[in-house]
Amino acid sequence: MRWLVLKVGHRRLSGSLFAAFLVALVLPKLPAHAVEKKTLKIAFRAAETGFDPQKIEDRYSVGICENIFDSLLSYDWLARPVKVVPQIVESVPVGEEGGTRFTFRIKPGIYFANDPIFKGKRRELVAKDMEYAIKRFRDPANRSPYSWLFEDRIVGLDEFVAAAKKSGKYDYEAHIEGLNVLDKYTISFKLREPDYNFIYFFTLPIVVPVAREVVEGYASDTMAHPVGTGPYMLKEWVRRSKIVLEKNPDYRGHTLETRYANPADPWDQAAIKSLGGKTLPLIDRIEISPIEEEQPRFLAFMNHEHDYLEETPAVFIDQILPNGKLSPEMQKRNIRAFREEAPEITYDSFNLDDPVVGGYKPENVGFRRALILAHDRSQEISIVRRGQAIAAQSPVPPGLIGFDPTFHAIEQEFNPARAKAMLDMLGYVDKDGDGWRDLPDGKPFRLTYKYRATEDTARQLAELWAKCLADVGIRMDAVAVQFADLLKDRKVGKYQVSGVAWTADYPDAQNFLQLFYGPNTNISNDARFKWPEYDRLYNQSLKLPDSPERNKIYREMNRILVVYAPWRYGVHRIFNHILNPWVLGYKKHPILFTSFKYLDIDAVAQKAVMQQ
Amino acid sequence: MGAYIVRRLWQMIPTLAGVVLLIFFLFNWVGGDPALVLAGKITNAEQIENIRKQLGVDQPYWYQLWVFVKQIVTFDFGRSWATNEAVSNILITRVGPTLTIMIPVLLLETMIGVVLAIGVAYVRGTLTDRAIMMVCTVAMSISFLVYIIVAQYIFGFQLGWFPVQGWSDSFAKNIVTYAPLPIMLAVFVGLAPALRLYRSFFLDEVNQDYVRTARAKGLGEKTVMMKHVLRNAMIPILTNVGISLPGIFVGSFLLETFFSIPGLGREILTAVNRSDFPVIKAATVYLAVVTMLVNLAVDVLYKAVDPRVVLK
Amino acid sequence: MSAVLTSNTTSAPLHQSSPGLWTLAWRRLKRDKVGMVALVVVVFFLLMITGAYTGLIAKNWSKEVGVSYANPSFLAGAVNLEAKVESKEAVAKVPYVDLSDIDPLAPRYKEWEERTAKIKVTETPRAESLLFGGDKWGRDVVQKAIKGAQTSIFVGLIAALIATVIGTILGALSGYLGGRVGDFMEWFYNVFSSIPYILLILAFAAVFASSPAMADFRGVPMVIAILGLTGWTGIYRLIRAEFIKHGSREYVKAAEAIGASHSRRMFVHILPNVSHVCLVQLSQHVVQFIKAEVILSYLGLGVPVDSVSWGTMLAEAQSELVIGKWWQLAAAGISMAILVTAFSMLTDSLRDALDPKIK
Repeated sequence: MRWLVLKVGHRRLSGSLFAAFLVALVLPKLPAHAVEKKTLKIAFRAAETGFDPQKIEDRYSVGICENIFDSLLSYDWLARPVKVVPQIVESVPVGEEGGTRFTFRIKPGIYFANDPIFKGKRRELVAKDMEYAIKRFRDPANRSPYSWLFEDRIVGLDEFVAAAKKSGKYDYEAHIEGLNVLDKYTISFKLREPDYNFIYFFTLPIVVPVAREVVEGYASDTMAHPVGTGPYMLKEWVRRSKIVLEKNPDYRGHTLETRYANPADPWDQAAIKSLGGKTLPLIDRIEISPIEEEQPRFLAFMNHEHDYLEETPAVFIDQILPNGKLSPEMQKRNIRAFREEAPEITYDSFNLDDPVVGGYKPENVGFRRALILAHDRSQEISIVRRGQAIAAQSPVPPGLIGFDPTFHAIEQEFNPARAKAMLDMLGYVDKDGDGWRDLPDGKPFRLTYKYRATEDTARQLAELWAKCLADVGIRMDAVAVQFADLLKDRKVGKYQVSGVAWTADYPDAQNFLQLFYGPNTNISNDARFKWPEYDRLYNQSLKLPDSPERNKIYREMNRILVVYAPWRYGVHRIFNHILNPWVLGYKKHPILFTSFKYLDIDAVAQKAVMQQ
Repeated sequence: MGAYIVRRLWQMIPTLAGVVLLIFFLFNWVGGDPALVLAGKITNAEQIENIRKQLGVDQPYWYQLWVFVKQIVTFDFGRSWATNEAVSNILITRVGPTLTIMIPVLLLETMIGVVLAIGVAYVRGTLTDRAIMMVCTVAMSISFLVYIIVAQYIFGFQLGWFPVQGWSDSFAKNIVTYAPLPIMLAVFVGLAPALRLYRSFFLDEVNQDYVRTARAKGLGEKTVMMKHVLRNAMIPILTNVGISLPGIFVGSFLLETFFSIPGLGREILTAVNRSDFPVIKAATVYLAVVTMLVNLAVDVLYKAVDPRVVLK
Repeated sequence: MSAVLTSNTTSAPLHQSSPGLWTLAWRRLKRDKVGMVALVVVVFFLLMITGAYTGLIAKNWSKEVGVSYANPSFLAGAVNLEAKVESKEAVAKVPYVDLSDIDPLAPRYKEWEERTAKIKVTETPRAESLLFGGDKWGRDVVQKAIKGAQTSIFVGLIAALIATVIGTILGALSGYLGGRVGDFMEWFYNVFSSIPYILLILAFAAVFASSPAMADFRGVPMVIAILGLTGWTGIYRLIRAEFIKHGSREYVKAAEAIGASHSRRMFVHILPNVSHVCLVQLSQHVVQFIKAEVILSYLGLGVPVDSVSWGTMLAEAQSELVIGKWWQLAAAGISMAILVTAFSMLTDSLRDALDPKIK
């Protein structure tokens, strides 16, 4: 009954302004049973782009897809370090044929959410839907930003795409050798090379089965019509302003796995207490508004307009957590803070093809290392990040499979004296007497640092580095570039030094170490680092599952990176998520972006305080 | 009159053509390569080529210009590069919230401005007049950004009179809950220049012969002001309102960003940040058309209000 | 249609030689107390930014002299949580990894170490409080505001100069020559003025920001270009009207009779007689552009990181208000308000002084 009322209401809302006005007047006067509906209101830091899994890449859009679609595999919610578990398949496949074959068996009886396109019939999820999604990644018409996942990997797929490009027709019915639908529920992949990390692709909320009739039925705007098998459905979408998810009534339900919980972790215990044994999800409706500006996003939480605030902007951290403890005001409000060490790294890369900062000769290598030594990372942490960060020692963030907690190098420690000594020793001294160092051949130089425009933190980091380098006698001009242009310039090597961040797509160190693999130049190796020994080790590591042997190879690779210094390692950020007391069972997963699936709300307590 | 309107409409065509050329020159010539903007986290040269083909940027310029003109005439600007949403849809859905804020702003600003200006004109030359003008000048010299930051902090958060941000689907809720603070801010900021301007209009009239005649007839200063001066000063005031009318469609992107109002200004700003050229191009061309039409309407109205005006 | 076309008052110019006009204007301005005060303030600011430009003052604005968010001296004792953030290490104290076997620089380790030992690094102590407080790096906010004034006023002046030059040249050509040229200029003007100003700025900004051709002009030159290239329309309109008015006057006809060329008549004979309009417009646009710079900088299209402007200060200060560090917002906001107020008042006084008919 309740659903009916609301649905009618929504249709009217989109109808006319007058009707909207009426509904607005009527709705608040509805009987009080609307109270039991659990609504979560939160903000995103940036606007989403849309919800066609194969067409998106930004974490906000992907985060929504996480709740609408089901990936074949996912992560156990509580297990740390993270653990891959089956989501809609019977088991996590083991690499067969030397790590080149992976077979998934989808559980029977999983249905897509009801949608007019299915004409009232229930639509079961089958293996062909997965095959279709994989093919969509490579369809040139989709311009998928993640098409690289399936490039140069599955037997016969590249040849198929090349042929399709020639003929101009991309045939979704074509059979591809390495992409076999064995029966209604089974799909098997054959890879060209062994790759044990292949299974991680199937944890990504974008590598999800989609129904072909939905994609084709809403071909004009697939971004706005996501239909999946997951716990939520897209109810309402005002682009870049409001996303409303509602519980999928046809959803099969899931439960909280408590087996891997940490008995000593109060968050785990609280989650078990609130969610254990219940059929999830519990939240009925989720309203998300993107708020780019930090002040309104923060104040909206403080003003009881949102249930929780994820990734509290660093500037405000002392309002919430002075000296790492909740402020008295926050304590009075019974607010809790969840601290997350994110599996990501911020860094500055050097363009190794650049005549000034690039090169592999001892003087080039020493020059880059001197720049790194000159950078005062403690200021990056204390001032820019307000203490909410950990200095990175390798590209691999803590918590990832293959992270080495015993690895750190003196080459990463701020030491202006060593930096100056190195520059002096290599001949980077001031020859023309203008107060700035010149190249060993006597030519003056200025470095150019590209950073992301419109982001205050990026600007501060640029400010910091320019300042630190000035202290050792090197000029650096910082240039703000639109984010899209920044990515582009980095991709094609049109930069000298530039800073960005990389977040784990999957929890293996390989996701970060691939950023230095020579053949990935122009794809993801933005430093354009090419070192044969590194590439050899990388290829060797691919052929191994997680093991001490592979860790040894990773350590060796990290040593090479410290010596040749294609990056200046920044930090691994710490995010503080602050929660109102009525938010129950909250936990943040390091790889998954949202927590809606495992969350509850005390709606009565919420109603008493929250602004409606 | 009819002939005049027809002629004016004809004259709009070369101007519109100029706007189209200017926008085309800016975005297709000066602007960067859109394909690279679009390519994602990891991509390759082949994919970039593919995107360029889809967008038609590998075609000669004359062809691209033809496509652009066709888009304008058919009201089909294709889709946003960033989100693939139909550009026309973006513009249509965003106008509502912007107008919800800007129409009350324009009305309040004009009404309060006129009332205050006539008061100030009445006491012209006195210390009060000078003091108010001084306050206006000072108020005008503070950046809008400062007003927004401070007001949001004080009224939205510290005093808690208004929500800090937000927007709903219901017009009633918006106008009662979410819109007041941004509207008040915009009115407050717009009032100072309006007051100064309107005062000068009143003073222009005060020195006219007919006012002297009216006074000579023995009419009281109040009657002169309210009856004669006000009526005549309304003409330049209304013209001024007409001039600022097209501006309300753009709204204030600062207000919209800070108060999470899903309006046109914020949309255009997002498009600027995402280098989403189709959205900016469409917004510019259509708002230019709106501007021209509104200007025409104002001229015609002007004629209706003041028969002395000769339309050329 | 416009008022300009109907104003055919061909009274002879009161002052044909410009010195007379300027002297009279100066006398009138001197009598205007508010105008004089404004002038003094503006001159003070101009001297200040000249000082900043030549390095006489605020030379060390980028030096970190205080702790992070150092308190203003009148709040010296207040708690400053932000100053005491400490960084921590993820890696426990384990020995540094040995790289000597693969490091091409390994043979020079010893020399490097010896050179390092000879270099002394001294750290200057940081003050707990500064005159009007510090920013997050611990830089003096007063010095920053002075240096910021330099950038902001520079941007405003140069952009206004460009806009005035464009507007004057186009307006002169259009008003004086009329005919085809005039029609063309009118068309050009109509094109620019039919696009809402904010939108025009944003469109230029969007294009310039992503254009490879503009890559070398990012930062201050780009802001100046955007403002200068979009802001000339109002000036064009006024100057055109002036040239139409003056074009038919006797002194111009006389100049024609003695064989003065068109360009000579336009720029040697007429221009000095309308230059007061240019001057008033110039100062009005300086104000407008200083305010616009703030917005552009806030949008990240403004000045580079190693310099500072009022706009970047306000953008930075945006989130500082919430954490109770209001002084940067106040310093930038107030100094800007003072200058802009003074400039606006000076503009009003200039207009009154130069054109006594308008009151």
